[in-house]
Formats: sequence, C-alpha cells, structure tokens
Amino acid sequence: MSLLLSQIINAIMLGSTYSLIAIGFSLFFGVMDIVVFSAGDVAIVAAFSILVLMGTQMLPVLDSILPHAVSSVVMVFVGAMITALLMLLMYRLVIKPFEGKSPLMPLLSTIASGIVLRELIGIFYPQGRNPQAFPQMLPSGTISSSLMISWRNVIIILATVFLVALLYWFVNKTKIGLSIQAVSQNREAAMMVGLNWRLSILVTFLIGGFLLGVSGFLVASYSEVVRFDMGSMYGLKGFSAAVVGGLGSMFGGIAGGMLIAFIEVFVTAYIPGGSAYSGVAGFLMVIVFILFKPEGILGEKTVEKV
Amino acid sequence: MQRAAFASKNSLVTLLVSVLACVFLYFALVGSLFVALAVIGIGLALIVLGEYRGKAEAIHTAFGEHRSLGITVLIIFVLTLPFLLKGNNYLLHIVVMGGIYSVVALGLNFQMGSTGMVNFATAAFFGTGAYTSALLVTKFNISPWLGTVSGLVLAAVLGLLFGIPALKTRGYYLSLVTMALQVIFTLMIINTSWLGGPNGVPGIPAYSLAGFSLKTSVVLFGIKLPYQANYYYLVFGILGLAVLVAARLYNSHVGLAWNAIEQDEIVAVTQGINQTKIKLLAFALGAAFAGLAGALYGHYTSFIGVENFDFSISLIFICMVLLGGMDNVLGVVLGAMLLTIVDEKLRDFADYRMLMYSLILIIILLARSQGLLPKRIRKYGKLRDSKIEPISNG
Repeated sequence: MSLLLSQIINAIMLGSTYSLIAIGFSLFFGVMDIVVFSAGDVAIVAAFSILVLMGTQMLPVLDSILPHAVSSVVMVFVGAMITALLMLLMYRLVIKPFEGKSPLMPLLSTIASGIVLRELIGIFYPQGRNPQAFPQMLPSGTISSSLMISWRNVIIILATVFLVALLYWFVNKTKIGLSIQAVSQNREAAMMVGLNWRLSILVTFLIGGFLLGVSGFLVASYSEVVRFDMGSMYGLKGFSAAVVGGLGSMFGGIAGGMLIAFIEVFVTAYIPGGSAYSGVAGFLMVIVFILFKPEGILGEKTVEKV
Repeated sequence: MQRAAFASKNSLVTLLVSVLACVFLYFALVGSLFVALAVIGIGLALIVLGEYRGKAEAIHTAFGEHRSLGITVLIIFVLTLPFLLKGNNYLLHIVVMGGIYSVVALGLNFQMGSTGMVNFATAAFFGTGAYTSALLVTKFNISPWLGTVSGLVLAAVLGLLFGIPALKTRGYYLSLVTMALQVIFTLMIINTSWLGGPNGVPGIPAYSLAGFSLKTSVVLFGIKLPYQANYYYLVFGILGLAVLVAARLYNSHVGLAWNAIEQDEIVAVTQGINQTKIKLLAFALGAAFAGLAGALYGHYTSFIGVENFDFSISLIFICMVLLGGMDNVLGVVLGAMLLTIVDEKLRDFADYRMLMYSLILIIILLARSQGLLPKRIRKYGKLRDSKIEPISNG
C-alpha cells in the first residue's frame, strides 16, 4: 500500500514537471500557431543558470539579509527571468522571421536553436558534457517516513499548483491576459478592436519563458542532476503531454503531463524489466492518441476547411 | 542559322558549367580545411549571384536542351575521380560516405521535398537497413548481398507502417509521431541485447563478388587503388540508379501527385488523387532508399552502433535536403555531398559538430529557405520552347 502511494506521489511530482512545460508549449501554440521545439532546452538553460549563480557569492550575500527560503526563491526567480529574456531573444531571432510562412520553417528553426543552446552549454560550461550534480535547494526532510513523502515532493507539487493558479488568474482576469486570449482566438479580430497583438505575443513569450525556467529548476531538483542534453527528451515529453492533453488547452497540458508520468512511473515500477521501456510505453501512447484522438483529452475538435 | 548558333552556345554553356561544377567539387574535396571552405564559399556565392542576375534560368534551359552532354561530363568525372585522387583512401572514404548519405537524402526528399511531410525518422529507416543486413549476415551467415536486399525490404515495410500515421495526421502532429517513432527505435536498440545494445554490431563482413572481396585493393592503370575505390564504384553505381529513379518519379504523374498533396491536400483529393496510395508510396520508397544505404553503410564500415542512427542523424539528413533544395534531385545530392565534405573537413572540431549543423540549418532557413538549387517551375511540352512563362505554383 505504501509502495503504491509513494509511486503515486512520485508520478504526480514527475507529472507536475511535464505539465509546466506542456502549458508552455500550449501558450506559444495558442498565440502563434507554432510549436517552439526549443522549450525543453530553454528550461535546462534555467537549471544551468541557477547552477552558475550558486557558484557565485550571490547566495551567501542574500542569505545575510533574507531568510534562506526567500533567498532560494530569489535565485530561482533570477534563473527564470534569464530564460524569459532568452525566450524573447529566440522569438526575435528564429520565430518572428518565419511569420506567415510554411509552419515547417519555425519547426526546424526552433529545433535547431534548441540544439544550439544545448551545445553551447556542453562547450562553455566547465566539463559541460558530463552530468552535473544539482544542489538541493529544497528542504530535504520527510513529512511522514512511513509514506515516504518528503518536503521536496510536496514543494514541487505545490509550486506547480501555485504557478498554474497564478497563470490562470493572469490569463483570465488581467487586461493583458485577456488580450493574449483574444489574439489566440483570432488575431485579425483582435487587431480590429485595437489590441496591440505584437505586445500580447511578446508578453506570452516572456511568461512562457519564465514558466519554462521554473519547470527547468523543478525537473533538475526532481532528478538531482542536470545534463546538457536533458532538454531534448524533456521537451519531447512536454510536447507529447501538450498534444495528449489537447494542444492549446491549459488544463489539458496538466492532464497530458500526468497521464504520461503515470504511465512511465507505473511501467517502471510494476512491469519486470520495465524501466528500460518506460519511455517506449509513453511514446507509444502518444502515437495512439494522435491517431485516434488527435484533438487530445481536453482540446476542441476542429473541422478543416478549404 | 541563328537557331544553330544559339544551340551551340547553349551546349557550350552546359559544358562549361558542368566542368566548372566538377572542378569546384574536386577542390572542395582535396583542399585543406581553409581551401575547401573558401572553394565552397565561392561556389555558393556564384550560385546565389547567378540566381540573382537571372543567369540560373538560362543555364537551366541550356541543361534542359543538352542534358546528355552534362550527364556525360558528370559520369566521366565520377568514373575518373579515384584516379584523380591518386588512390588517396581518406578522400575516397569521404566521397563514399557522401554517396551513401545522398541515397538516404534522396529517399527523404520524397517525403519532405515532394510531399511536404517532414519525417524525423529517416535515421530509423537507415538503421533498419543497416541492422537487418548486419544481423542476418553475422548471425545466420547469409550472403551480404542477400542481407542488403532484406535490409531494403524490411526498411520499406517499416516505412509503410510509419506512413500509416501520415494518412490520419499532418503538420506538427505527423512530425511528433515520426519523432516518437525515432526515439522508440533508438530505445529499442539500446535496450535489446540481441540487437547489440549500446555496444553495436562489430565485424560485419564485406561484400564479395565471385570470390573477390571488396575489401582488397586493386592496381589499375598503374595506380594502386585502396579498397575504398571498390566501394566507391559500388556506391556510385547505386547512387546513379537512385538518381535515375528519383528523376523519373519527379517527372512522372507520381511526382505531380506528391506536389499536389504538398500544395493542398484536400484539393488534391477532390481532384481524384489517391491519397492513401501516394502518401504510403512516398514513405515506403523513401524508407527503401534509406534501408539500402544503411545496409551499404554497415558492410562498408564493418561496424554499426546506435549513435549512427539516432535523432541527430535524422536532423542531419533534413539539413542535407534543405541545403540542397527541396524537391530538386540534383540539389539534394549536392547538399548531401557538401555537408559530408564540410563535416569531414571539420573533423578536428568534432565537439562543435552539432552546433555547426544547427547553425547551418538556421542560416539556410533565414537566408535561403529554397536551398542552393531551388525547385524549378515544371515545364511541359511546348511551354519549354515558348516565351510564355508558366504560371508559378509556388
């Protein structure tokens, strides 16, 4: 029983990290109808930025004026801001030039720019091609030793819930969030009623980048190591989660992320020799979903018109 | 009178351009890193400048009129290259690899260039051919030739299976399916010890013809040719065949149907194109090309490992097609050759390999998304001679 419960907690934790990146994919897809394939690598850049920041004297200085928990949050915030700005740069360099052209082009350009980020980390971070231990910034104690629930698990899940709630509030209750929704639904109509669609897109990329940054921190904390090429698999799974849940839907991203995480965790735990094939099982499910329910769990069915 | 002078001028242009192309390729191949990069740079600049000044169209017409002349020059160049390289085995190795990759890129072009379906699983097809042939030959002692045919067939069957999702989805969804399949392929190879696992398959035997192993060197016309030369002629024979097939397909109703699907799927279907057949054909045929090349690769290098067939290799194939020019047979081969040469010349900077490929990809997309030799407007019948410009479909 306690094994099952701890597996469920583990799956929810993994699912939280997948959900965040899936929501990132959905945000970008909603507002621009493109898939930003470098999202996974952008997230890992945040993890490496935090690693670099930890190497500087920033944390002790912050600790001297703030409580430790707050200064840790500040570090994560700074790392996420770096990726938010990176996402803006990426929009300007490899996404904006392809507006209105074949969707194939931003697909390839974002994949390529993801590889550029990955390789730059591998080349310029000291011994960047080896796995790097990620410092434990989250408290390590356990809440209940019999159920094997640690503070780390709870904080990762709570952080995800908090971020999703914040995003939900932002998109539905603020003026700029509503204008992002308007641009997602119909860009021309949004322009006609005088919305600044360019600004909406920029804000979306800023927010999405921030979200990806936090998700990168969480995934690094979850696995306790970061690798320079972790982003490719993380991004692919995030995109899969977004598609399974319904591309463009926020809660769909959560549903898809959880589904993939549960499959992976349970194949690993309950099928003999399953750990090697957990990735295979997850991706097979994605293929089945695309073939038989391409609109995803929560997405809207669209009818193609000529 | 004037017509004759015009024709002879065009034949001269054809001769000059094809010889020049061969000279450029030769120097790009033999030169040291900087010479090679300079030669390639000048070549690319000439192509772009020619396009800009409108000369490319004239050269294209000239080639259309004197196709056999251009092909003859190319064939002579290909046949004599091992002697021109004085039997240098390293340079020959580069060309052999270029030939193998060209066949794969031609296969990918059916899906990506002609039909507009971006396939990220090309390396899986390539690997299927290589693994099938290598395992059959090493484990069951069948002839490498038979193994190669089995590799081709199995890859084609796999292509057919991978093509089924293309019937139901397209765009990003199709790309995601092919990515997932590519990742599944890699994971299955790594985790199945019977397939060699992470250690790969070593000791793959070479081809032999009537008792003569292709791994022996030959002395011909007083020049000692290394064993790579045997493979060179084999690979380029196959590449010639592949180019022929691809060019015939491009000019046939199949090529047209592929283009119609690429332009607008729904319109194509309403005009009576059998979407199922034509899409599956693109996948099966492309996979067959890749499988054949994969089997050749295995029997040539005598070792295959999973890292030769992973996602990044798929991306390199996409890069080749895009650089050369989508849906342009000659362009795709040129793209594959150029990237292979550049890759080998930059061997000392192996750490920067993927960085280089991705930067090249971004630069092509930004600066010249139509590729080096862009897709031409199709010309049929009398349109070729008349001054009437056919309506652009792009």
